[in-house]
Parts: sequence; structure tokens; C-alpha cells
Amino acid sequence: MAMKVSKNRIAVTILASIVLVLFFATVAGLFYYKEMINSLGRVQEEDFTEYGRLYAYIPEDPDSQLSTSIYKEISEYAAQNGCYVEMTGQNLSTRYSKADRLNIAISSKVDGIIVEGDDSAETVALIDKATANGIPVITVLTDCDSTRKSFVGLNNYSLGTEYGEELLDIALDKNMYPLKVLVLLDRDDGNADDFILSGIQESVANRRIILTTSVVDATSPFSAQEDVTNILDSLDENPDVIISLNDRTSESVYQCIVDKNLVGQVTVLGYFDSETILKAIDRGSVYATFAIEANVVAKQCVEALNEYYNSGFVSEYYSSKYLLINRDNISEYRVEDTDNGGG
Amino acid sequence: MAAANFFANMKISRKLVAVFLVTSVIAMGVNIFIYVNLNQALDKINTVFSSNISLNQLTDNLNEIHQGLTGYLETKGTDDLELYYASSQSMRLMMNDLNSNVTDNNVKLAERDIRNMIDTYLKTADEAVQAKRGRNIDEYTAKYNECTKIKDYLNTYIYSVNNEQFRTNSENYNALVNSLRYTEIMSMLIFLVASVMNILLLIILTNTITRPLTRLSAKAEEISHGNPEDVEPLEVFSDDEVGKVTRAFNGMLASIKDYIARIRTQLITQSEMKEKNLLMETHLKDAQLKYLQSQINPHFLFNTLNAGAQLAMMEGADRTVEYIRNMADFFRYNVKKNSETVKLSEEIELVDSYMYILNVRFAGEIVFEKDIDESLLDVTVPSMIIQPLVENSIKYGIKDLEPGEGKITLAVYREGDNCCIRVSDNGIGTDEDIIEKIMSNEKKPSETRGVGITNVMERLDLHYNNREVFEIKSKKNEGTHVTIKIPMEAGNV
Repeated sequence: MAMKVSKNRIAVTILASIVLVLFFATVAGLFYYKEMINSLGRVQEEDFTEYGRLYAYIPEDPDSQLSTSIYKEISEYAAQNGCYVEMTGQNLSTRYSKADRLNIAISSKVDGIIVEGDDSAETVALIDKATANGIPVITVLTDCDSTRKSFVGLNNYSLGTEYGEELLDIALDKNMYPLKVLVLLDRDDGNADDFILSGIQESVANRRIILTTSVVDATSPFSAQEDVTNILDSLDENPDVIISLNDRTSESVYQCIVDKNLVGQVTVLGYFDSETILKAIDRGSVYATFAIEANVVAKQCVEALNEYYNSGFVSEYYSSKYLLINRDNISEYRVEDTDNGGG
Repeated sequence: MAAANFFANMKISRKLVAVFLVTSVIAMGVNIFIYVNLNQALDKINTVFSSNISLNQLTDNLNEIHQGLTGYLETKGTDDLELYYASSQSMRLMMNDLNSNVTDNNVKLAERDIRNMIDTYLKTADEAVQAKRGRNIDEYTAKYNECTKIKDYLNTYIYSVNNEQFRTNSENYNALVNSLRYTEIMSMLIFLVASVMNILLLIILTNTITRPLTRLSAKAEEISHGNPEDVEPLEVFSDDEVGKVTRAFNGMLASIKDYIARIRTQLITQSEMKEKNLLMETHLKDAQLKYLQSQINPHFLFNTLNAGAQLAMMEGADRTVEYIRNMADFFRYNVKKNSETVKLSEEIELVDSYMYILNVRFAGEIVFEKDIDESLLDVTVPSMIIQPLVENSIKYGIKDLEPGEGKITLAVYREGDNCCIRVSDNGIGTDEDIIEKIMSNEKKPSETRGVGITNVMERLDLHYNNREVFEIKSKKNEGTHVTIKIPMEAGNV
């Protein structure tokens, strides 16, 4: 009897323990459930950081790799300095012109504008309007004769000289005289290409190098490729060297050379360090390219605006160099590039 | 432990109520908790798309302002101006809900841009209205164009943000719906766990109620089948109704056992008494039988003796009359006194008659003396106890003495609570071993010696429950003293 009773007691104790465990499990489950329900709303409110100032970056072609690269660098550097840079007109359902983007930036009362300048009167007027509205404007890569506060640019003339020197090297290497060179100019690039071209002309003068130029419309994403193909088709004779002064044009030229099976016959001197160009250099399809130090440019832009805000004055001109990338230094460049965090 | 004891001692009805209350409260609590949280989740889902709705309202409002502005600039209509002002006012209110800070969140940043653009738009529109009032056509046309442009930008921005938000909201919505599915599973699990817990609670409760009842019924069955004296009482674990019933059951079991024990003792006593009565009756009958056997026909003898006495009286023989009368008395006593107890006086009368007869027979050779305490004459004694002793004394005590020497003494006296009857003789005495044999009941009376001393002893034993009432003392050649000590108990006197 006593044995039975103790068995019963054990059973009841076990049951009671299970009940206790289940009770705690229920309570824990309810808390977990509440936590789950609460976490539903968190999806909506993404984490974001607030910044003190907003700058607008308005490049000529927002879709070009150069613009993207500079924007990325500017964003990163600005974020480190308590500012945020927006690429005005991006993520919109409509594609706006540079003038519209400038107008939007002015209407939305940004704290500063970084714009790729050009010679058009509209741009000048808008820069002046921005200045009138108390918005400092910095021009980048290409200057503009306006009330802009500062210009962050590159020495295009010296870039032209460097292109010229590369041409001389190619002529020497291939022992090809006269060397026929086709320079592809950018339609909407202000006077930058003119400076480059005069630099080239200056450095190859009297050196049996024949320079011809063509203008490529690289403003829309698809026009560059067509234009380059048209230009090459229209030529009676293939040039020995093609110099392109635009990132998109450079890739188009490279692709065209490959398509026409002209690799080895036509040497390409490119512009910008896009991954396609770098790969092409690695393979020998592109002889060399000149890259902008995007991080330096970006830093100068943000610094110029910040300095203007801090002191009310800013240096008129910030200069930056181009980097030559060819097969000799591409591996080094890539290592450096990785160290700098890409770009 | 204290709580467990408290629960065990609760009334069953309260236990039931408590457990049902607890389980119901748990189930209800879980329900309410899940319901409230689910409602919160649904509210969140509802708010997800509210941002889209408010952006659409913004567009509508902007269009109204622009419509008012256009109308006013075109016709200077009052209605248009009113529309313009009213919608501008509500636009300013709506603007305040939009983010104004610079953030790295695209939507928030677009909100800021929209807010500032609306501000610029409203300012420009105001300037246009002012210019219209100043009738400066160029200015208000320019301002209007600017407003149109900004409105276009705003529409694009709102549309884009709307799209972006719709995308994010859709993602959120999907996430919410997915989460709801998880919560559904979760709530099911919680419900399941709570239900299992409730079931276990009920099992424990029913167990605490039915288990003791089962034990109780098993015990009852055990009692009904077997000997209740072998059944152990039940242990009591709780103080509820079942506990009380168990206690009562244990009490009942104890009293049944007690009752059985008492009945058993009673039965034993009764059977013992019956046995004793039977034995006494047998002995009496035996004595009477023997006595009757010793007479051919007492009645006939008695009548004959009476006839003899009458004859003697007629003849004037007084002594013969006396003799015959004594004989008649003697036999009459035997015929009449067949009951168990008689008065001591009657017993003494019998002895007197007997002695008279014997003295006539032996010509007055036996001296018979009496020393009687008169107060004891009414004491009741078993019948036929003195005469056999006297007969024995004569037969074995004084038989061999010279005529006239033999002497029998009957003494009746009080000794404490006893009435003592002593029959003494001055005969040859009785041997010790014979006395021992008589006392230890070994010496059987012979058939021919009539009612013997042993018979008297046995009857006295039965009558007085084996109390030592019989005593024989004797010395060689100094006679024998036989004493009967009758206890004078209530009803004896």
C-alpha cells in the first residue's frame, strides 16, 4: 500500500513538474511572441544616420562610371565629415537634364552643389541663381565661368601632354611612322577635351604623327557605342592609335576593336579605370589609360564646401592629377586600389 | 509543500473551482495576450500603406494649389484665389509631417527635398500672386513657369518616393504577412502547450479526487470479501471530503472489529454457561435417577408408609407412627424436591428425618447433634448436599464404632461472607490419599453407594463456578470434618 502511495506521489510530482515547466514555457513563449510582433514594425523603420548638411552632386552624365565612382568617393568622404551628398535626380521616375537637376537642387534648398561645369548659358544662370539663393557651388572636372565658389579640376593640358608622350612611345615601339592617331572627343564636355587635344598636339608636333579627331555623343547610354562604330566604319583606313577621352567611349572603342578583330592592329589609349578597361589592359587589348584619382577629387570637393561653410572663403582652384595605368603598373595599381577601398 | 498541503486540504468543490479557474484564467490570459499583440501587428500593417496615402494627398493638394494659382493668374477669379489659399494652408500643415532632416535614407531624404521644394513652390507662387496684383506680367509669368517646373519636379519626386515607398511597404507587408504566419504557428504552439498544461492540471485534480476513492472502494471490497479483522485502516492524505470519508471508513472498520471481538467473547461466555448448565442438569438428573433407582416406587412407598402410619396410630404405637412419618417425610422430600435449589432449613429437615430413620434402624446408636445459626436457615443451597455427607459419615466414619459411640455433628454458622455447613463425625477418619483423590475428583462414587460425596462436590463446583467451597479435614481415629462454604451473595439469602 505504502509502495502504491509513493508511486502515486511520484506520478503527481512528475505531472506537477511538467505543468510547471509548461507554464514557464507558455510564459516564455508569450514573451517571444510579443518580441516577434514588436519586431514586425522594425522592418519599416530602417536604421539611418542624420547629417548636418546636404550637398548635391550633379555630374554631366549620372550613369557614367566616372560619375558613379566620384559620387561614391564623395559620399564616403562627406559621411566621414558629417555631411551627406545626394546625386540629385537619381532614383526618380523621370530622367532630368543637368539644368533641371540644378534647378531641383536649388528648389530643395541643399546646402551646397557640386556640379560638373560646362559652357552653356543655362548652367551659368543656374549657378548664379544658386549663389543668389545662398547655395555655394563647386564645379568639378570641368569649370564654368560663373559665380561658382571653387573649381576642383584636373590639369587637362598636362593630360594631353601625357597622351602625346604615350603616342611617341608607341611610335617608337612599333617603329611606325607616320603614326595615324584618331582622337575621339566628347560632345558635351565643355572645354576639357580642347585642352587635352592641344596638349597632345603640342607634344607630338613635328614627330610624324598624324592626328585626326571625331566627336562622339556620349550623353546617352547607347549613343557612344553607335557613334564609335559609325566613326570607325566611315574611315577608309583604320587608325594606328585611338585615343578616347571619355570612360564610356573608351569601353565602346575597346569593344569595337574586339568586334572588328583589330586587336593588335589598333592601339587604344583609354580614359578612366573601369573594370572593363583594366581587364583589357591586362590582356593587352588596351595600351594604357589615364585614371582620375577619384578619392582625391571627392575629398577636395567636400573640403571646399566645408571650408566655405566654416570660413566663408574657399580657394578658387583645387588641382588633381591623372594616373597613367598600363601593363607595367596595373598590378600595383590594383593593389593600391584595393587598399583604398575600391573605386 | 505548504501550498500542496493547502490544496490537498481544500474541499473538492473548491478544488474543482480553483483548477477550472486557473485553467480558464491561463487560457483567457493567453488568448487576450495573443489577441492584443495580433491587433498591434494588424495596426502596423495598416500603417504600412498610410505613408503612400499621405503622399497621394500631397499630390492632390499640390494640384489644387496649382489649379487655383493658374486660375487666379488667368482670370483673377476670387474662387481660384480662395482655392489657392485654402489648399496652400492645408499644404503647409501637411508639409510639417514630412521629414526635414538630412539622412542617408533615400525616402527620408526625398521627403526632405519634397518639403523644401514645396516651400520654394509656395514662396514662388506667393510671389506670382503678388506680381499678379502688381500686374507685372513678365514677373508673374516667369514665377508661374518656375512654379510649373517645381510642380513637375514635385510630382516626379512624389511619384518616385511613392513608388519607392510602395516597394518598401510591399516588402514590409510581405515581411509582416510572413511574420503573421510565424505568429500563427507560434500562437498555435502556445495554445497547444497551454492546453496540455490544463489537461495535466485536470488529470492531477481528478487523480487527487479519484485515487483515494478507488483505494476506499478497494478496501470496502476487501472487507466485503474477507475477514474485516485482517484489513488494515487506510492512510489519510487530505482533509477534504474524501479524507473525511476515509477517516469515517477507518472509524467504521475499527468499530466493526471491536464489535466482532465483543460478539466472540459473548459467544464464548454463552457457550461456556450453556455447557455448565447442561452439566449441572445432567448431574442432578443423575443424582435423582440414582436416588429413584434406589427406591422402587417412592410414591407407592410413601403411600404405603402413610398407610402404615395410620395403622400404627390406630394400634396406638406412637413410636412406629413417628418412625413411619419420618420415613415418609424423607421420601417425600426426595419426591418433592427435584428442583435445583432449596432452603437450608429444608436440607436440615431432610437430615433430621434421615437420622431418625437411621437411629430407629440402629436403635439410637448414632448420636446426632446440631449446632445451627438460626439466621442462616433461609440461605438457598443446591438440594441434596447435606444428607449424602451425613450418609457418608455414617457409612465410612462411624460404621465400625461401638454402638452408642458414633456421633454425627451438623453445624451451620457464619464465617465472613460465607454460610458454613459442617458435617463432622468421630469415626475412624479418612486417609489423606483418599481425601486427595476425592478432592482431585478421581474417586468415582460407586453405583451402589447412593448419592455420593463426589456428586455433591461436582454439583457445588458447577453451582459456584469452581470456587473452593468444599473442604475435608480428617485425622486418623479422630473423625472427619466435611465443610461446605456457601457464599452469601445477593439472592442467595
